[in-house]
Amino acid sequence: MTSDIALSVKDLKTYFYTNNRCNKAINGVSFDIRRGKTLCIVGESGCGKSVTASTIMQLLPTLSRIEAGSITYHAERGDIRIDQLARNGAEIRKIRGAEIAMIFQDPMTALNPVYTIGFQIEESLKYHTDLSLKEIKKKAIDLLRDMGIPMPEKRVDEYPHQFSGGMRQRAMIAMAMSCNPKILIADEPTTALDVTIQAQIFKLMDKLKAEHDTAIMLITHDMGVVAELADEVAVMYMGNIVEAGSVDDVLRSPKHPYTRALLDSIPVLGQGKKQAIKAIKGATPDPYERPNGCSFAPRCDFATKECDVMPDEEYISKSHRIMCANYKAVS
Amino acid sequence: MLTFIIRRLLIVVPMLFVISFLVYLGLELTPGDAVSHMIDPEVASRISAEQLSEMREALGLNKSFLERYYIWIVNVLQGDFGHSLAGGVPISDIVFDRLPATLELSFIAIVFSTIFGCLLGVFSALKKGSLTDNSLSVVGMLGISIPEFFFGLVALLIFALNLQWLPIGGRLLPGYETIWDRLPHMVLPGFVLALMMTAGVMRYSRSAMLDSLSRDFIKTARAKGLPEWRINFIHGFRVALTPVIVLIGFRLPTLIGGSVIIEQVFQWPGIGNEFIAAVRGQDYPLVMMIALFSVFAVLMASLIIDVLTALVDPRVRLD
Ligand SMILES: Nc1ncnc2c1ncn2[C@@H]1O[C@H](COP(=O)(O)OP(=O)(O)OP(=O)(O)O)[C@@H](O)[C@H]1O
Ligand SMILES: [Mg+2]
Repeated sequence: MTSDIALSVKDLKTYFYTNNRCNKAINGVSFDIRRGKTLCIVGESGCGKSVTASTIMQLLPTLSRIEAGSITYHAERGDIRIDQLARNGAEIRKIRGAEIAMIFQDPMTALNPVYTIGFQIEESLKYHTDLSLKEIKKKAIDLLRDMGIPMPEKRVDEYPHQFSGGMRQRAMIAMAMSCNPKILIADEPTTALDVTIQAQIFKLMDKLKAEHDTAIMLITHDMGVVAELADEVAVMYMGNIVEAGSVDDVLRSPKHPYTRALLDSIPVLGQGKKQAIKAIKGATPDPYERPNGCSFAPRCDFATKECDVMPDEEYISKSHRIMCANYKAVS
Repeated sequence: MLTFIIRRLLIVVPMLFVISFLVYLGLELTPGDAVSHMIDPEVASRISAEQLSEMREALGLNKSFLERYYIWIVNVLQGDFGHSLAGGVPISDIVFDRLPATLELSFIAIVFSTIFGCLLGVFSALKKGSLTDNSLSVVGMLGISIPEFFFGLVALLIFALNLQWLPIGGRLLPGYETIWDRLPHMVLPGFVLALMMTAGVMRYSRSAMLDSLSRDFIKTARAKGLPEWRINFIHGFRVALTPVIVLIGFRLPTLIGGSVIIEQVFQWPGIGNEFIAAVRGQDYPLVMMIALFSVFAVLMASLIIDVLTALVDPRVRLD
């Protein structure tokens, strides 16, 4: 494998079955995560970002399943079809935590309250490395130090409730990075933290990306974060990636009406109170009653009859792709 | 931790004082006294008023309420708990006679219900929605809603009367027989008491376990690539343990105070049976002693709960 693609997702569909109804949470999604690059996934609440992350890790709840498509992890030992592995089987367990690691949204609840931070970091190392107990302990302390936690020798024996939110998230990152994973999936890692801490956490992730050549998939709904960190962006809406490309493609010349609306709805710092913030009109449709065609059509100013059928993905440049029947009319 | 325990133990003393006074007052306010209970109503009509007041004087009942309380408490502080008004037996003898019987049953019930309640509850939670889980839920509901006495009587009917596998009731005195002779007497009351408690512990540990398994840290543990047993037990059950310990702790005082109903049904010579008899006969030194003992058990149990929760949950600080 000479390609720099660490993981590729093709036409992935994940459905939830609750109360005999089917929620097509992810309805045909394709993207690649590249080594040493950050892919940002953005979109409104409920569009399927977290489900995408859970699917990749095979962490879906029992009521859901991968309906179609493939997830291929390009490991050094050869390609692995993650979607075909047993849910909590030995093979996926070997990959989780060791090769693909994940950071969750809320560091307050993501750590077990009754075990020390050290115990929880060491746990990963015990299962995925051959290090001796002494080396593991030392490594846990080193990891905390790398994450900028002061006095790690002392902190390692403290419990999560003795850590601040920012420190807990660093501990989570230390845990995720402990086995030098090839891919790091971060699901809104800073939503629960204040802005200064947020900046520190992102700097840390950027450093890790540069030092270890980790591929990062960062889920966020903060366009500022995207501009800052992303190499590539995928915009999701109701279970589809409606527009994807390099940061420049998507942020500088957005083509999909949803992407534009999303960008227009962000207040810009320094423009004062008079700036026109355009909220996207309407609300996201009921996930159980999705429109047959483009799911954004009911809220779209450019909707035409063609939007009643699901538009195909179209490449408008080598890196920039879009799912919209009328994108030419938009610009 | 140690200062916490000492402080709590120090609070126990004034609490016991206050409660002893309240119980004494309660006894005083109930109509009648020990003498009126000792004498058969038929005989009473033939006894003269002088004779009655002589009896009262002999028992010290003619003194004022405060005076009697004072005498009682001074004696207690000197280690003299007095004699039962009904039989003249030293109270300490009665308590030390009855307590082992009660503790014996309690011990069986606690150990059995903790082990089996947790096992079944956790198993149920892990197999949520399965046939086993649903049947266990039904059994648990029955266990909680069927009254103890009914369950006890049915057990007696089947195993003692019909099958004649086990004795109907009572308990051989310790020392008179070997433990193997006494064991058959323990089986039915111990089993019934344990089973009722197991149902509660099972339902509780099931819901605590389900709650714990639905938390975010379980997903984190899974994302770390840990095996399922470790996720379920080291992470899930460990967190579910705290509420279960609290529940079991709350049961302690009632057990030590004697499960009155079970002791009645099985003619078990425990402290609960004795307490009922003492209250009926207004045998106030005995009532006082058992009441104080029960209060003491409650206070100790709550101390034990606090210490145990602090031990299993690092977020709980004892100060
Ligand atoms: N455990 C679950 N059970 C049933 N449905 C679920 C579950 N998790 C997610 N869904 C559904 O899947 C869809 C996508 O949800 P998802 O959590 O991926 O949104 P999201 O993009 O991560 O939103 P947010 O920004 O709020 O985190 C939603 O319609 C949601 O209702
Ligand atoms: Mg989410």
